Amino acid sequence: MFRSGARRTHDQGPAPEALRLVKVSKTYGSYGSDDSAVRALDEVTLSLRRGTFTAVMGPSGSGKSTLLQCAAGLDRPDGGIVTVDGTELTGDGEAALTRFRRRRIGFVFQQYNLLPTLTVAQNTILPLKLAGRRVDRGRVQEILTAVGLGDRLGHRPDQLSGGQRQRVAIARALVAEPRVIFADEPTGALDSRSARDVLALLQQAVKVHGRTVVMVTHDPVAASYADSVQFLADGRLAGRLQAPTVDAVAERLAHLGDDMPTGV
Amino acid sequence: MLTLALRSVRQRPGQFASTLLAAFLGAGVIMTFNSLHDTAGQPGVDSVSAETLSMAAGVVGGYGTLLVFFAVASTLTVNVRRRSVELELLRCSGATPAQIKRMVVGEAVVVALVGALLAVGPAMLGGRALLDMFQDTGQVSRSVDHAFGPVALLSGVDITLLASAGAAFLAVRRTTRRAGRHDRVRKFAAWAALLTGGLAVCSTFALSATDAALMAAPAYGAILLSVGCALLSPKLLTGVLDRLPLTGASGWLAVRDLRQRAGRLAGILMSLVLFTAVATATLCMQSVESDATAASGLRKSVEAKNLETLNLTVVGIVVVFVCVMLVNSLYAETTYRAREFGQQRLAGATPGQVLGTVAVEGVIVTATGVLLGTAAGLAGIVPFTVVRTDEVLPGQTLGIWLAVVAVAVAVTLGTSLVTARRVLRTPAVVAVAVAA
Repeated sequence: MFRSGARRTHDQGPAPEALRLVKVSKTYGSYGSDDSAVRALDEVTLSLRRGTFTAVMGPSGSGKSTLLQCAAGLDRPDGGIVTVDGTELTGDGEAALTRFRRRRIGFVFQQYNLLPTLTVAQNTILPLKLAGRRVDRGRVQEILTAVGLGDRLGHRPDQLSGGQRQRVAIARALVAEPRVIFADEPTGALDSRSARDVLALLQQAVKVHGRTVVMVTHDPVAASYADSVQFLADGRLAGRLQAPTVDAVAERLAHLGDDMPTGV
Repeated sequence: MLTLALRSVRQRPGQFASTLLAAFLGAGVIMTFNSLHDTAGQPGVDSVSAETLSMAAGVVGGYGTLLVFFAVASTLTVNVRRRSVELELLRCSGATPAQIKRMVVGEAVVVALVGALLAVGPAMLGGRALLDMFQDTGQVSRSVDHAFGPVALLSGVDITLLASAGAAFLAVRRTTRRAGRHDRVRKFAAWAALLTGGLAVCSTFALSATDAALMAAPAYGAILLSVGCALLSPKLLTGVLDRLPLTGASGWLAVRDLRQRAGRLAGILMSLVLFTAVATATLCMQSVESDATAASGLRKSVEAKNLETLNLTVVGIVVVFVCVMLVNSLYAETTYRAREFGQQRLAGATPGQVLGTVAVEGVIVTATGVLLGTAAGLAGIVPFTVVRTDEVLPGQTLGIWLAVVAVAVAVTLGTSLVTARRVLRTPAVVAVAVAA
C-alpha cells in the first residue's frame, strides 16, 4: 500500500525521546457544574527517554489509566501536547489515530484482549495484517518461541492459562516493532510466578530489543522491575523513584495514600 | 428462582426486547389465523365459507407454529449466550444448574406471556382484515362476522408459551453442557428433512397437471429441503470458508472469525435459507399456475382463488416474519460482538476495517444462505413447472429470484453494518471493559 510507503520516508529512526507529554489535561464529566466534573489529569508534563522501563503508580483514581490512554492515543486529552517517538499525536478521527498507533505503539492489557476466534499465531500477526505489512513467518515463530509459546501456535486463547495469554499479548506487541509499549496492569490477573515471567519479558523488550515500556500498576513488586517509578496523585505528578526496590516503592506509595483527602 | 427471574426481567427490559418481539409477532400470526377457526365455527356460517376459513387457518396455522418456534428459539439462544457471564456468576454464587434452568425458562415464559397478551389486539385487527380480504374476493360470504374466540386465544398463548419454554430449556442446556449428542440429533434431523423433502418433491410427478393439490407437494417439499439445508448449513459454510482465497486484512479476519462462529450462525442462515426458498418457490409456482389458468381460458374457480390468496398471504407473512427475525437476530448478534470489535480496534484495526470485516462476513453468510435457499426452491419449482406446463423453468423465475435476493442482501448487510456502526461509536477501551 502506498500509504505505508509514504510514511516510511518520514520515519527517521527512533527519536531520543520516546514519549513526551506537555501540560496534558483531561476532565471527565460535565464542564458546567464543577462538582460532578473529575479532573483526571492536571497539566501533566513528562518526558521518557528511549529504551527505558517506567512504572506509573498511584492510588485508585489518581489518573494512571487516563495518563496511559492519553499518551497512547486511545483517548484525546482536553489540552496539552502528546509526542510519541518525535511525532506529535494530532488525531482527527479514530482511523487516523489508529494508523498513528500501528507503527509506534504496542499494547498489553490486564484482560489480554486477544481475539477468541484466532489462534496464538494468528493473534500475534493480527497487527501486521491490519497494517497491511508483510508477515515474516520465521520472525513470528522466533518471537513466540522467545516468550515460551513456540509449541502453542495453533492453540486458541481459551486453551491457554492467564500467564500464557499475557505472553501472547506481549509477542503481539513486539511483532510490529513499536517504539513504545504501553502495559496496563499486565500482571493484575496473574499468579506471582506467571507475573514474574511477564515482567521479565517486558524487561527483556527494553534491554534486548531497545523498546520503551510504560507500565501502569499498583503492585510494588511489579514496579520494582522497572528502571524508575513515576508516582501520580490527584491527576498530578507526585515524585519519581530511580532504581526502585519493592520496599522503597511500597513506602512511598503508603505515604502518597496519607496525603489523599479521602481513604482509598 | 422465579422471583429472581421476574426481577431480572424488570431490571433490564431492553435485554428481553428481541425475545419479546419474537413472541409478539409469533403469537400475532398464530392468533390472526386461528381466529378464522373461531369465525368458521360460529352458528349460521355456510359450509363453503367455513371450509375456506378452516383451510386457511389450518395451513397457515401449521406454518406459524413452526416459524414461532424457530424465531423464539433463535432469539433466546442469542440471549442466553449473551448472558453467559451473568449465568456463570450465578453458578459461582451457588446456584445449581437446575435453578439456573428454572430461572431462564421462567424469564422466557414471562416474556412470552407478555408478548402473547400484547398481540391479542393486533391479531383481532389482523383477523378482521384477513376476513375482509376473503370476502372481497368472494370466497367467503358477506354475512359472516369476524370472531375472536377461545381457539385463537388458547392456541396463540399456548403455542407461544410452549415454544418459549422449550427453546429456553434447550438454549440453557446447550450452554451448560458441551455439544456432541446435540450434533448427532441435528444431523439426523437434517437428513430426515432432506429425505422427506425429496420424496415430497418427487411425488409431484405422480399428480396430474390439473390436480388442485399439485402445488402442495413441491411447496412443502421445498420447505422441508430448506430446513434440511439450513440444519447442515454451518458445515457447508465451513467448507466454503476453507476454499475462499481472501486477502486483505478485513477478508483475512472475516474468514477466521466465521470459521469459529459457523455453528452460532445457524439461526441466521436458517432464516436466510427459509426466506429465499419459500419466497422464490411460492411466488414462482403461483405465477406459473396463474399463467397456466389464464392460458387455458378458464375462469378461476373459488378453489383456485382461495389457493392464490392463501399462497400470497403465506409468502407475505413468511417474508415479513423472517425479515423481522433476521433483523432481530443480526442486531442481537452484532451488538453482542461489541467487545470483540473493541479488541480488534486495540490490535490496530481502523473502524473502517472493522466494518469491512463485518461486510465480508455478511456477504459470505448471505451468499451461502441464498445459494442453499435457491437450491431448495428450485427443487420445488422445477417438478411443478414440468407437470403443470411442459417447460422446465418458468421465465419469471429470474425476476422473482433477483427481487428475493435483493431483499435478503439488503436486510442482512443493512442490519449488520448499521448495527456495527452504532456499536463502533463506543470508544474501544470502554467497549473492551464492558464485559471484562
